[in-house]
Amino acid sequence: MTTFVLVALFIALLLAGVPIAMALGLGGMFAIAWMNPGSPFWGLLAAPQNAHAAIAKYPLLALPMFVLVGAIFDRSGVAGRLVTFAQACVGSGPGRLPVIAILVAMMLGGISGSGPATAAAVGAVMLGAMGRAGYPRAFSASIVAAAAATDNLIPPSIALIVYSVNMPGASVPALFAAGIIPGTLAGLALIVPAVLTSKRHGFNEANVARARPPFWASLREASWGLAAKVLILGGLRLGWFTPTEAAVVAVAYGLFIGMVIHRTIGWRDLYPVFRSATELSAVIMLVLALAGIFAYAVSTLGIADPLVAWVQGLGLGSNGTLILLFVVMTMLGMVLDGVSIFLVFLPLLYPLMQAFHWDPVWFGVLLTMKIAIGQFTPPLAVNLMVACRIAKVRIDETIQWVGPFIFWFVLAAFVVLFFPEVALWLPRRLGY
Amino acid sequence: MRADPKIEERLGVACMVVLAIITLGNVLTRYFTDMSFAWTEEISVFLIVVMTLAGAASVAGRDVHIRIEYFYDGGSLARRRTLRALSGAVTTLVFLALAVLFSIDVADEIRWSETSMGLGVPRWWFTAAIPPLCLAIAVRAGIAGWRGWRLRDEPESSPVDA
Repeated sequence: MTTFVLVALFIALLLAGVPIAMALGLGGMFAIAWMNPGSPFWGLLAAPQNAHAAIAKYPLLALPMFVLVGAIFDRSGVAGRLVTFAQACVGSGPGRLPVIAILVAMMLGGISGSGPATAAAVGAVMLGAMGRAGYPRAFSASIVAAAAATDNLIPPSIALIVYSVNMPGASVPALFAAGIIPGTLAGLALIVPAVLTSKRHGFNEANVARARPPFWASLREASWGLAAKVLILGGLRLGWFTPTEAAVVAVAYGLFIGMVIHRTIGWRDLYPVFRSATELSAVIMLVLALAGIFAYAVSTLGIADPLVAWVQGLGLGSNGTLILLFVVMTMLGMVLDGVSIFLVFLPLLYPLMQAFHWDPVWFGVLLTMKIAIGQFTPPLAVNLMVACRIAKVRIDETIQWVGPFIFWFVLAAFVVLFFPEVALWLPRRLGY
Repeated sequence: MRADPKIEERLGVACMVVLAIITLGNVLTRYFTDMSFAWTEEISVFLIVVMTLAGAASVAGRDVHIRIEYFYDGGSLARRRTLRALSGAVTTLVFLALAVLFSIDVADEIRWSETSMGLGVPRWWFTAAIPPLCLAIAVRAGIAGWRGWRLRDEPESSPVDA
């Protein structure tokens, strides 16, 4: 009964557009008070303690720092130089600009950590060029949204940091290493439908003559941005830095590039950069805090065990259950952002993971891939919303284009599902 | 309650700047000297909490916390007004309750003279900042909800960024 009230209240509030953090907080506090009618303050003193404990953690500092890295690199002029470099590598011809958009999103994903932020950065530099070359705007927006979804996997990834903070036995460096190959695989998989669709519809870039940029000069220009990736991952690998330290070093490096090398960030731009990073971090961490109350309510209610028993009772086996989760998580990913999904569902997924003996690192990568697919599956897709707003098209216009991208991304996810080594080989090789 | 409308925003940004400086300082001192600044951990954790709540208050004022926007942004004017008022009311309720509960926590810490793990200073030096920030979120969300209730024209599109 209490369980039903908690779940029903939570879902009703969510659908009514109440902020997710508040739905978690109110649902959680309501359930706690319902269960403890006789206790002082109805047992609600557990609420502030759990909310505080959920964010008062030193390792969590990596989150705002990587958000800040993303905000700085968004304005550091790196994205435009990466486009020039990708053009030098790929050249021009049918389907080349979409490939460039995908490659740039993947390279940028190695610096910034969230899908919608990368969709905005890549969209700003690519959508105009693709429009001039004759690609339909809805098609371009679909590509940018799908490519930006790979950022959830390519480190540094905000989603993987949140997963690590809430999941014992999955360290940030291990998750980062585990995300590299699946993320790259997903990005490369997206190139197939990008080129095939362009060929089939005869999108032709020939009407816009573009000289191929000189390879070495554009590499030199792009090298400042690419070095950030080397700095973050190399620093982690060599044990120079903890994830938080790697982030703050990247902050200093990004400010140096933006203010001194590319000169795209002036003193006046600093406040808006820090403000957007502060507010984005606050929005995520507020959900984190109030999800602490919700998780406490869920664990005292004992919802998880019967649910796990029920799922096991379905007799789907390990892979069958994963595919079921796949469908559920992708649908949730259409409505909610990845970080919120982790926070709401990890208390339920953790016992499931233990019951089936799934590797926590592999499971994290797999869950993140599911959520990434949801980010560009219409009608409710955060990446697609951002890309469509920049491209000035309606989301429903993308439906005819986005299907093949979803199919190939799902295919990449299935490779990781059936061959866990794709995710686990690199972290083991690196000794995490 | 018409203080500087950006006071929480500035406080949050200041926390972010200080966090970055402390963390960078830690990296540099660790590499160039033998000194350890482990005691700054407690301050960093405190700043994370303040930044979250201050930033959340600033965001609540503009009504752009993460939500499912499907029903929120569409439909009749009456529906949009109702949902905005509901959103504001729920946020205000949650954070008024948390402000009271956190105050009880702080009062207990003062009564039992609890000290912090790292620095050994009274815990309430840190936690006393929390109830006023919760109140700030409640007030900002309440004002935003009231504005939503009095909505007349076409709604502005709400930015997504998370």
